[in-house]
Amino acid sequence: MAELLKANILADVTFYRRSRLLLAFTLVFLLITALQSLPPLFMNSGVQNFNSLQQIVSTLNFFILILSAGMGLLIISSHLRNRSLKMVFTKPCRPEIWLLSAFLSAGAMSLFLNIVVLGTGVLLSALWHLPVRVGLIFISAEAFVASLGLIAYLILLAMVMHPAVAAIVAIIFNADLFYQFDLWTKAAVRSGNSSLALRMVERLFHSLYILLPIVYPFDKQTQNIHSSLRVLGSEWKYLIFSFGYALALSAFCYCVSLFALKTRNHI
Amino acid sequence: MIFAEDVHVHFRTRFLRRKVRALNGLTLEVRDGDFFALVGQNGAGKSTAMYCFLGLLRPTSGKVEIMGQVPELGCGLYKDIAYLPEEPHYHLYLTVEEATRYYSSLSGKRVSDKAINESLERLGLAQFKTLPLAKCSKGMKQKVGIAQCLIHEPKVLFLDEPTRGLDPLIVREFRETLREIHQRGATIVMNSHVLSEIEMLANRVAIIEGGKVVVQDDLQNLLTLNQELYRVIFDGNGNGAVPEYLTAVERTGHLVRAFLPKARLSEFMEVVRTSGLLLHECSLKKTSLEESFFNIIKGEAMITENANGRSGISSGVGVS
Repeated sequence: MAELLKANILADVTFYRRSRLLLAFTLVFLLITALQSLPPLFMNSGVQNFNSLQQIVSTLNFFILILSAGMGLLIISSHLRNRSLKMVFTKPCRPEIWLLSAFLSAGAMSLFLNIVVLGTGVLLSALWHLPVRVGLIFISAEAFVASLGLIAYLILLAMVMHPAVAAIVAIIFNADLFYQFDLWTKAAVRSGNSSLALRMVERLFHSLYILLPIVYPFDKQTQNIHSSLRVLGSEWKYLIFSFGYALALSAFCYCVSLFALKTRNHI
Repeated sequence: MIFAEDVHVHFRTRFLRRKVRALNGLTLEVRDGDFFALVGQNGAGKSTAMYCFLGLLRPTSGKVEIMGQVPELGCGLYKDIAYLPEEPHYHLYLTVEEATRYYSSLSGKRVSDKAINESLERLGLAQFKTLPLAKCSKGMKQKVGIAQCLIHEPKVLFLDEPTRGLDPLIVREFRETLREIHQRGATIVMNSHVLSEIEMLANRVAIIEGGKVVVQDDLQNLLTLNQELYRVIFDGNGNGAVPEYLTAVERTGHLVRAFLPKARLSEFMEVVRTSGLLLHECSLKKTSLEESFFNIIKGEAMITENANGRSGISSGVGVS
C-alpha cells in the first residue's frame, strides 16, 4: 500500500507542478504580492513595515488557500474528465488508495507552500528589522489547517459535479452567504413577519449554514492574532480545535467522495 | 476464465435523455489460454464489453466474471491483468519514462530501472523518454501503453485496438510478442477492426452486433463457414463446353478455372471421369475472416430487416 501511495502522490505532485492553470494563478498572485511589498522598500517606518508584513502574509495565506482549493478541484476533475483513471483502476490500486493520495498530495503541497510563506514572513521581518512574532507560525499553521478542509470539500464537489459548477458552489454558495441570509430572514421574522414560508426559508438557510463547511471556524477568536501577530498561551487551543474540525470534515468528504467514485457507472 | 452472461448496459443521452442500449444481452465465454478476438462494426459494443470485463463500467444487468471473481475497480485480480485502452487515456502531464514507471509501479510488483529502459528501448521510445505524453503522437502513446502492458508478463491481456496508429515495423514486432505471450499460456482478449490481424493471431472469435454476440466460435470454424464452393482447375482439352453449374469460369489456354457448387461435386466428378478431363485441382474455396464477417453481418441485417420491417443494421452506441 505504501508503494502505491508513494507512486500516486509522486504522480499527483508532478501534475501540480506542470499544471499551467495553477502556474498562471501562482504567477498572478506572486505579482500582486510583489507589488504590495514594493512601497515598504521606500519607507523607514517600523509601523508601516509591520503593517506591510501583516498584509503580505495575509495575502499569501489567502492565495495558498485558493491555490490549495484549486489543487483539490483540478486533481479530481482532470483525472475524471481525461478518463485516465482507467489506467489506475485496471491495476491493483483501489479507489481508496488513489483518493487518499489525492488528499495527501494536495495537503503536502499546501504544507510546503505554507512553510514557504512562513519563511517569507520571517525573512521580511529580518529584512525590515522587526521582531519575529510567534503569530506568524500560528497564522501559517491555521492557514494550512483551513486549506486541508477546503481541499477535502473541493475534492468532494469535483467528484460529484462539473468543476465549473463546483467552483461556483465553493465561491458563491458557501457558509458565509447562508449566514448572511440566515441573519436577514431572522431579522425579518423578529420584525413581525412570521409567515410559514419565511420561517421555513429561515430554517433552510440556517441548516445550510450549519451544514456547509467553514474555512476558519474560529476566526472571531483568532482575530487579534492576525492583527498583532502575537499569540496568548490560551489561544493555541483554537488551532487544535480547527485541526480537529478539518480532520472531521476531511474524513466526511473522503467517505462521500469514495462512495461517489465507486458508484460511478463509468470510469 | 472470462465469463459474461446476458449483460445489458443501458444509458441515457445527456440532453434528450434518449435511452441507448450499448450492450443488449451479451453472453460470451473466453477459455483459459484463448486468444480471443472481439469483432464488430463501430458502435457494436466491443469496447463497452471490454469495460464491463474490466469493471470500468457497471452493467445495468447481467453477470461478468474473470477468473471466478466479479471484477471491481483496482482489486487484486489486476495483479495478473494488463489493459491497453483504445483511446490514449493516459496521464498526459507525465513524460514517457515517468508514465511507464508510474503504471508499472501501480502493478504492485517491483520493476527495475533496467527493465523500464529495456522496454522503452525495445519499442523505440528511448530517445523520447523525457517527452511529455501530451506532446507525443498517437502511436507513441500507444507504445507507452504497450510497454506498461507487457512489462509484468500478465496472465490476461485486454487489448483495445492495440495496433492503431503504430508503424508497420512495430506492428510486426508487437504481433510476435503477443504470439510469444500467448504461447507461454496467457489469455488474450483483443478488439480490432483489422480482420487480417485477427486471422493471424486469434484462435477464437466473437462477432458482436447491436450489443450482443451474433457468432462465437473457433476461428477455423468461421473460416470454413459457408464453404459451399469448390475451386476446380482442369484441362478442358480445347473443348469449349463446360458444365453449366460451374461459375466464374476463367480460361487460360487449355486450363479452366471455375467454382463448383458443393452439391454438384459428384456430378462433376462423373463428367471428369466420362469425358476424360484432366483435373489439376479441386479444393474447398478458402474464406477469409473478412468474408465470413460480412456474410454474418449481412445475415444479421436481413434478420433485423425481416423482424423489424425496415432496412439497415441496428447498431448501438459505444461508451468512450
